[in-house]
Amino acid sequence: MKQFFPKNPIPLILFFIALGLIFTTNICAEPSDATLVQAVMCESIENFQPLNPAVIFSISQGEVFCFSNFDPVMKQTHIFHRWYKKDNLIFTMRLTLSPPKWSSFSRVQLREADKGPWRVEISAADESLLQTLRFSMVD
Amino acid sequence: MEALLYLFSGFRWQDGLDILLNTYILFRLYVLFRGTNVIQALLTICVLWAVSQAAVSLGLIITNWAMQGIITVAALIIIIVFRNEISSVLQTKSLKSFFWGIPRYQFNTPLNIIIESVFELARKKIGALIVLPLKQSLDSVVQGGIPIQSKLSQEMLVSVFWPGSPLHDGAAVIQGKQITRAGVILPLSKSKDLPSFFGTRHRAASGLAELTDALVLVVSEERGEITLFKENQTHTIHNRLALGKLLQADAGDDSTSKGIRRQTIELVAAGVICLVCFTGIWLSFSKGMETLATQEVPVEFINPDQRMEIISSSASRVKLLISGARPLINAIKPEQINIKLNLSQSVVGSNKLTITRENILLPPGIRLKSIEPSELDITLDTLVEKELPVQPQWSGKLPKGLVMTEATASPSTVQITGGGLALRDIATIFTEQISLDTLTESGTIRVALVLTPASLRLKKKDPIQINYLISKRPSLF
Repeated sequence: MKQFFPKNPIPLILFFIALGLIFTTNICAEPSDATLVQAVMCESIENFQPLNPAVIFSISQGEVFCFSNFDPVMKQTHIFHRWYKKDNLIFTMRLTLSPPKWSSFSRVQLREADKGPWRVEISAADESLLQTLRFSMVD
Repeated sequence: MEALLYLFSGFRWQDGLDILLNTYILFRLYVLFRGTNVIQALLTICVLWAVSQAAVSLGLIITNWAMQGIITVAALIIIIVFRNEISSVLQTKSLKSFFWGIPRYQFNTPLNIIIESVFELARKKIGALIVLPLKQSLDSVVQGGIPIQSKLSQEMLVSVFWPGSPLHDGAAVIQGKQITRAGVILPLSKSKDLPSFFGTRHRAASGLAELTDALVLVVSEERGEITLFKENQTHTIHNRLALGKLLQADAGDDSTSKGIRRQTIELVAAGVICLVCFTGIWLSFSKGMETLATQEVPVEFINPDQRMEIISSSASRVKLLISGARPLINAIKPEQINIKLNLSQSVVGSNKLTITRENILLPPGIRLKSIEPSELDITLDTLVEKELPVQPQWSGKLPKGLVMTEATASPSTVQITGGGLALRDIATIFTEQISLDTLTESGTIRVALVLTPASLRLKKKDPIQINYLISKRPSLF
């Protein structure tokens, strides 16, 4: 009777696992124009870098920033920063990204009436949600 | 006929029971107190009350005030003056006779024994004073006496008055077939028209006959003469036949059909009068005191779809304008009025429900005039589950020089059950306010969630923990 399986099957199994991984990666990975690598709320931006990232901001500071860093950026595209106070959309900022990598930010001026829980939703051009940042504005 | 039907419109079985119960109470009071002056005094008070009511309707303020005062005082006086009659009715009657029995006057009194006894006493010239009470009670008029309650016999009656007997002074009272008391002291007559040969015994007999309807027989000790006193009349008795006739006329055997019929007619008439009185009182309460009232009643929603929930209602309470007799209106308890709205035909979203008379349950005798509001806007929603992120809600101010770099909730999401419409616009569940003022270093804090609207429910009521990282603010230099 002719033997169907080779004497040492391990290389063959490894080959199939590698093949499976390649296929899986190709199927699940969505074609994205830009990859978000960093998103933080901060008190300021200096030298294209977030200064004092935090989740609590005092309104006495005057403003708060939402910083997002994309690397790589395959082609020129745009993203959205949507600012919500509680669950109410306050404003939307459309930001353009350019290759090869790009950092962008949006900010709001702080007033007494802005105290409370906030969130910023960062979404891609196709409206897919990339990340949600939650923070609070306090005294 | 129509007027009669209108008068008795809204007549409930409770009203019938009410009237019959009170009629019976009044009838029993009449039966128990008949023959006493209490009834006459009560009738007088009734007349005064009628005058007082007439004065009210005519607007005679002072007359009404005076009548009210007189009635109050008269009621007090009745209790004081007739305390003996009242206590004798309450004490001496058995429970059966109190609630049910009907005492009849001089029932089966053996008159022949009395006649023979009296003539024997007269023949032997033994002084005697015998009282036969009729309708009126003697309790408030006579004094003293020893209760005997012995069976009436010729020998017994003669022995009571036998000279030397402890009870021969005073009168013997005979009721029915019994000598009830002996040695009773009767009030003396103050009349100046009595013959000069009448002694104390005759004056006492006359005194009692003047004050009550009792028959009083006197046997003269000196002359052996028999005298019957009845009201203001005096009859000298010469033979047994004459005495028999006189006694038979008033204290005869009432067990005869004529006597029973007479007493039955009297009791039936009394019963009818009591019934008419209380029917009139009921009519005056139910029709004469018709009043309007407003009741605020909560609305009860029935037969809701189990998958639905009431999100909002334009009103949870409805004002009902009702009318009815004032006592019935005043006696209404909140749980006696119900408004039930059927939600079986309602759909998700806004529903307009009309409140009709069929939705309202009122106590008997109460009529509905108006409903406000007569229409309710109800918003229904289906129950759904939604997983929502938890976000801490900070307040106050961090101490100077500190910065909170991270705050995460554990668990980070919670499962919420609530109306689909209510949950549609909710993307986050917030914690209660967490004060920053006392936080100086990283740590964990346990908090509660704030569910708005209140109809939302947590699927698992596990505690929520907030883990936070606090660091020193980097120096600028």
